[in-house]
Amino acid sequence: MNIKEYIESGILEAYVLGALTEGERAAVEADMVMYPELAQEIAATEAAMQSFAEANAEEPPAHMQQQIWNAIQQQSSPQSVPEPQPAQEAKPQPQPKVVEFAPPAAPARPSWQRAAVWAAVAVSVLTNFMLLSQRNKTKDEIAQMTSQMDSLKASQQQVLAEYKKGRDMLVDTSMKTVVMRSMQPGKEMTGMMFWSKVTGESYLTIHAMPMPEKGKQYQLWLIQDGKPVSMGVIDNNLVANAGMMYKIPMQVKGGQAFAISLEKEGGNPTPTEVMAVGAI
Amino acid sequence: MAPALTYSEEELVVLLKQQSQDAFNYLYKNYAGVLYGVIRKVVTDEQTAQDVLQDVFVKVWNNIGQYSTEKGRIYTWMINIARNAAIDKLRSKGEIMKSKIQTGEDAVYNVQKGMKTEQATDTIGLKEAVAALKPEHQTIVSLAYFKGFTMDEIARTLEIPLGTVKTRMRAAMQSLREYYNSN
Repeated sequence: MNIKEYIESGILEAYVLGALTEGERAAVEADMVMYPELAQEIAATEAAMQSFAEANAEEPPAHMQQQIWNAIQQQSSPQSVPEPQPAQEAKPQPQPKVVEFAPPAAPARPSWQRAAVWAAVAVSVLTNFMLLSQRNKTKDEIAQMTSQMDSLKASQQQVLAEYKKGRDMLVDTSMKTVVMRSMQPGKEMTGMMFWSKVTGESYLTIHAMPMPEKGKQYQLWLIQDGKPVSMGVIDNNLVANAGMMYKIPMQVKGGQAFAISLEKEGGNPTPTEVMAVGAI
Repeated sequence: MAPALTYSEEELVVLLKQQSQDAFNYLYKNYAGVLYGVIRKVVTDEQTAQDVLQDVFVKVWNNIGQYSTEKGRIYTWMINIARNAAIDKLRSKGEIMKSKIQTGEDAVYNVQKGMKTEQATDTIGLKEAVAALKPEHQTIVSLAYFKGFTMDEIARTLEIPLGTVKTRMRAAMQSLREYYNSN
């Protein structure tokens, strides 16, 4: 096979653009395995389409985030749900057509947790219902403003809840405080981790770290069985806002230490220059 | 609150497999805009696009266990799920079939005319990359990527040889690659 001709034929672009028939697609995928040059070419083309998609991003309406999370929660609930979504302003959502894969096997939840979920659903249904009937009484314009207020209120409540959580956490005895201290002589650098062994939740605060030079970012690590596991690249905003507490999305089951290293922008698979370490 | 931590592709997969609400929030904050943008290019109706966005997130959520990095980048994987779901929706609404089934000369002429004027300048809506793509390239990219046409269907719709379709696809993607590499 002449790889150069193959690449220049345009078929790989057609593959990325989704313009091939099933058969053609399978053929390209088989060839990709044999010839890494093809896979490279496809990856480069996909990267361009990705940049293109990013350049054309469009923010969905704010209520979608909660609505989608609710939908995800509902599908893993038993079927005897009494239609818990009457009040969303959106039209009834078609059931997602995802039948080919079973939902991931979630561990059985304790019954108090179930009860809590149902109570939350009931409260949410009730709240939504009340909001809806309230809204119906008002004119369209007012209704719109009300809904804006609602979402503002919700986000405010969320912030307040986060804040309260932060305070509760500090008095929580199962919460471990790990201070990461500077590994660079002469440089004062500290960061702090709060970690709950019980829930796996953890929070990061940068206390004093110099702003990384251009093209560099800090990266957070968990040292687990002697190996560094990346917990993510730290946004420079967090470095600039010393003292701000940020919840780590990744769950931490256990480990021996937390560390912060300086890496190239976007992070590295393993730490290169360790700045601060704190043993758990 | 702006996300303060960012994850690489591999880390994102690990995070999503935890199936927590934090993981969902991270996914949504970082990818909803891009996925919604893709969907809106395919289905213009906002309500329908929102329905599709929800389906897409549920699908990504449920299928993350089946995803492996060998299948390519997770970003591409998610964009393709969004694109396919949107095109499926478009097909189920019968809109796309209209332009595919029409065979009469007038119909083809109208489709062609439509592409040349309105679609060529607007459909793909390349905000900034518009300078990078020639109109005939935009039409081809748009028909394939956003309307789900195969090469054969594009050739028939635009009445150009299949070879030309391939050549233009190659040229279009080369321009896009160059454009994004130099920006």
